Amino acid sequence: MHKVVHSESVKSALAIKGWDQKQLAEELGVSGQAVTNWLRGVDFPRPATLLKLASTLALGFDQLVLADQADQPVIAFRKKGAAKTTDEHVLRARAMGAMLKPLVGYLPARQSLRTQISDTALAYESLQATAAAVRAKLGIGQEAVLSYEHLISQFAENDAIIVPVMWGEKNRHENALHILLPADKVTFIYLNLDTHLEDFKFWMAHELAHVFTPALAGKDEGEDFADAFAGALLFPKELAHHAYVNASHRRTPSGIISALHDFARAHMISLYSVYNEVTTYVSAQGLSPLKVTSQQVHAARNSDSVRGELVSATLFRPLPPEPSTYISAAHGVFKSVFFPALQVMLRERGTGAGYVQQVMSIALPDAQAIHDELLR
Amino acid sequence: MTLVLLDTNTYLRLAKRIRPLLGMKFGQKDYVLMVLKDVEDEVRRNRTLRSKFPWFDDEEFGTERDSAQIRLTADEKSTLNNARSVLRGHVLADVDRYTSGGRQPPSDTDCRVLAFGQIREAIVVTDDLGMHLLADDFDLPIWHGWELLSKMKAAKKVDNDLIRDIYAALERNDDMTATWLKAKHTDFARVFGPKPE
Repeated sequence: MHKVVHSESVKSALAIKGWDQKQLAEELGVSGQAVTNWLRGVDFPRPATLLKLASTLALGFDQLVLADQADQPVIAFRKKGAAKTTDEHVLRARAMGAMLKPLVGYLPARQSLRTQISDTALAYESLQATAAAVRAKLGIGQEAVLSYEHLISQFAENDAIIVPVMWGEKNRHENALHILLPADKVTFIYLNLDTHLEDFKFWMAHELAHVFTPALAGKDEGEDFADAFAGALLFPKELAHHAYVNASHRRTPSGIISALHDFARAHMISLYSVYNEVTTYVSAQGLSPLKVTSQQVHAARNSDSVRGELVSATLFRPLPPEPSTYISAAHGVFKSVFFPALQVMLRERGTGAGYVQQVMSIALPDAQAIHDELLR
Repeated sequence: MTLVLLDTNTYLRLAKRIRPLLGMKFGQKDYVLMVLKDVEDEVRRNRTLRSKFPWFDDEEFGTERDSAQIRLTADEKSTLNNARSVLRGHVLADVDRYTSGGRQPPSDTDCRVLAFGQIREAIVVTDDLGMHLLADDFDLPIWHGWELLSKMKAAKKVDNDLIRDIYAALERNDDMTATWLKAKHTDFARVFGPKPE
């Protein structure tokens, strides 16, 4: 990576201390010309000098070094509920992106043709047309159930590598993480399997939207489009119409919720997703709203009997799975080339388990078990 | 006095058998061994390590670690954080270099340990080859675990029987690193003899 000293922040730090470049050079034991060259971007300090520069001027790496932005991983989180994204979350995700770079050389050759969505408007009819075009490409009608297999095939065809992870149900900021390496034109999508089955398909569709709209990755409008696209793809307006007709005949909120829930079960998506799509449809068509509130739907959805099992439990019972079972599922169920590529890399380079820990953001004993299995 | 900072694995490899270990001066340079609180945190949150090293929670060891811990001032914490970020940034800018030859990229915690070494002029002891590469890049003093043991032998802090005992435990726990193995019949040739043909 081409690195340049962040001359503005260095100059600001010097101004705060009341120093000139000559005093800085003396403090660091280098020539004045060396400091001038760093600040002009024609030279870069040796590592030991950079460390001394950091402690002398009280600056961290990001304040001291200007990295090539075109080479930086682009990050998008699928956050849990109202989880707040902190600098720590972003730094950890960027570090995972940096860790992924050596792995890219071990992936199969990239596809030259990829699906891209150019119209990312959020207007109802426009969004429905976009989702309908994707369904047509998949070869399924507007009222058909969109399966996991359909979604998984699209990731593989668009150089988006699924990394199924078990990050736990609660103690994690995000349930999915999208890391695009722009220079390598490859995307890694970490999907937390410790999530409810009913939410999982929505998140996959959300992540697929990011894959189809690389220009919006990491931006707020990208998140808004991904949410709206996922809903429209999984439960298009034709289905929303049927659900509305069914539910609007019911007299009580529980009857309405029950009708919506039948559709949610049939399409393996959450009750709230169905409610949301029906509500959006009703609004777009100017129809009378359903006589149920979003709070009532949330309350019904949050009961355990509605939420159902975790994906990990469905796949691996009993938990936790043996490393071999887990790796097989990544390849067999999710068609992921992540572990085969990782296996070749570990064998060829003799990389330690700490790499697996950092690239997957998991505990060291789990990383060690996966490392041992891949080297078996 | 020269501070010598043990990483988690080095502490776990030596602390049970070399008693006392931390806080005692030894050698001509008055080396004093210590650990960071990170060791405490890492072992406590890692069920596998806790079950593999049950003695870690014994009062004797906890008291020794507490008394050998170094407290940092607010300024030192800030300097430490900046140094850590420079070391970690250096790793992340070129992860490739840290993924070959049995290495693994130094983690954020590893970088914190090396940064501590820099601000307190301590020698870091670790068998992590990625940390050695990083320390070499930044001209930071660093030892392998066997180098520490060798210096303790020279200072008569450990004897040949204890060295044999430590090596036997490494083999028994399937914890023998390539560097410890190489040192067995070179630096510790007087204990184990030359490498068998």
